[in-house]
Amino acid sequence: MFEHDFLALFPEIFLINATIILLIYGVVFSTSKKYDYPPLVCNVSWLGLLSVLITILLVASSTPLTVANLFYNNLIIDNFTYFCQIFLLVSTASTIVMCLGYFKEESLNAFESIVLILLPTRSMLFMISAYDLIAMYLAIELQSLCFYVIAASKRDSEFSTEAGLKYFILGAFSSGILLFGCSMIYGFTGVTNFEELAKIFTGYEITLFGAQSSGIFMGILFIAVGFLFKITAVPFHMWAPDVYEGSPTLVTAFFSIAPKISILANMVRVFIYSFYDPTWQQLFFFCSIASMILGALAAMAQNKVKRLLAYSSIGHVGYLFIGFSCGTIEGIQSLLIGVFIYVLMTINVFAIVLALRQNRFKYIADLGALAKTNPILAITLSITMFSYAGIPPLAGFCSKFYLFFAALGCGAYLLALIGVVISVISCFYYIRFVKIMYFDTPKKWILYKPMDREKSLLLAITSFLISFFFLYPSPLFLVSHQMALSLCL
Amino acid sequence: MEFAPICVYLVISLLFSLILIGVSFLFASSSNLAYPEKLSAYECGFDPFDDARSRFDIRFYLVSILFIIFDSEVTFLFPWAVSPNKIGLFGFWSMIVFLSISTIGFSYEWKKGALDWE
Repeated sequence: MFEHDFLALFPEIFLINATIILLIYGVVFSTSKKYDYPPLVCNVSWLGLLSVLITILLVASSTPLTVANLFYNNLIIDNFTYFCQIFLLVSTASTIVMCLGYFKEESLNAFESIVLILLPTRSMLFMISAYDLIAMYLAIELQSLCFYVIAASKRDSEFSTEAGLKYFILGAFSSGILLFGCSMIYGFTGVTNFEELAKIFTGYEITLFGAQSSGIFMGILFIAVGFLFKITAVPFHMWAPDVYEGSPTLVTAFFSIAPKISILANMVRVFIYSFYDPTWQQLFFFCSIASMILGALAAMAQNKVKRLLAYSSIGHVGYLFIGFSCGTIEGIQSLLIGVFIYVLMTINVFAIVLALRQNRFKYIADLGALAKTNPILAITLSITMFSYAGIPPLAGFCSKFYLFFAALGCGAYLLALIGVVISVISCFYYIRFVKIMYFDTPKKWILYKPMDREKSLLLAITSFLISFFFLYPSPLFLVSHQMALSLCL
Repeated sequence: MEFAPICVYLVISLLFSLILIGVSFLFASSSNLAYPEKLSAYECGFDPFDDARSRFDIRFYLVSILFIIFDSEVTFLFPWAVSPNKIGLFGFWSMIVFLSISTIGFSYEWKKGALDWE
């Protein structure tokens, strides 16, 4: 019945099976008296990394020549999902690489934290390829349920517990809003499939006080609000700084990297493909401006590193929404480029944060005189920070440049203007890192342990990509253009 | 429409149980009123040793969570169990996959020791 569908879902099936086997392996051996109750977290994380890499191979080897709808139109596979899934898996793999050393240093024995990274990875794969409101909602819930657990995974820390609780309550609330939007859409159209919805909404004037469309308008509004909660755009961002700060650092890294890709992919699928209509454009326009402004201004007042990075990610969501609210092919393309470069920089910065764990690297001031104690790391962090700030010729500049270019191309001059001004303002706190590292003499010198090989490789690769992206950007442009085309055409 | 007798039955049984409670009030002797000793908590004849608040045992919570999980599993089993000749082998094996996934969860709990009471 579904032979070919199962063939197309081979990567997901493999990842599920690998996760299950890892779970059983972990629980059987970590409770075995014969082996003296070994802490299996390192073994499980290496095996988890291996299974993610195999999944990447499986996804990459099944090049889709055309579009395939799977399981009664519940899932779709096309160029967009193909590249997004590979990208998501690569970012998950680099998160696992980052936290290999973390487990050793923290002597954290819960191998479940790796299983709980692999499980949401699987659901994010489904989220990217979801082609139905129900499939979308189920994938989002599966992902967030695992996230609530890992946010609260450090049981002896009050901050982690608080973060988990806060994340759970606000996540459940936002899921409820999303679900209410879905049910409004279903109630007023009678379909849940994205393709059917796209057919219904073609040329359909959706206005708040339209004769038949007010319910649809509310549905779209609620779905948008639910998504904006999940992606931490500004009026709905309040959980993000607390959750990012409270959760264990590797979890923060995972939160700020992987779900951004999958939720944005899903949002683009819903809003560009199904509800292609200017009604939601103003909403994202507003959120984009608000996120940029709040991200920049609030990050200035932060002294803690993870909190600052949370605000910086809020600001970056604002920049990405510039591309989103245009709704043109260039806009989508620049959004995809922006996500790629944002993830690249975030992997880099969190690898550094995880590398500087001696003495609990918590405040920015702890970076003092890093340029003397570890000059290469200081240079790497400066490059990343300059790239975040958008200084040419680094990768972050290219991403912002294309986003503003897309905004100008579709006539959103105000958005581009505010974006440029805010980008200049946000240089302040990114450059503060550099100033602290190079020019401050701290009262007490902090010597950090040298980082392990995996993290240094990851750092080397990402900093290389960030610094030399401008020399050969065409592959990324081609891929993102293909993705945008396969979505819009 | 089959629910109408059940609703009537519900009301009647409510009335009946109220009557059973009320009858004892009617016939009970009100001569010896409640005195403090009679109203105090019964702990084998002694006065209570400490505060009534005590640490909550996490195992009750675990058991109730497990109950919720397997209860919802049963909810999925009902429609499957009444339609085996309509869904064919594919439906059968889909449910087997579902059951095996929840069995894996169960074996995780078992090995982790969530079910040990001592």
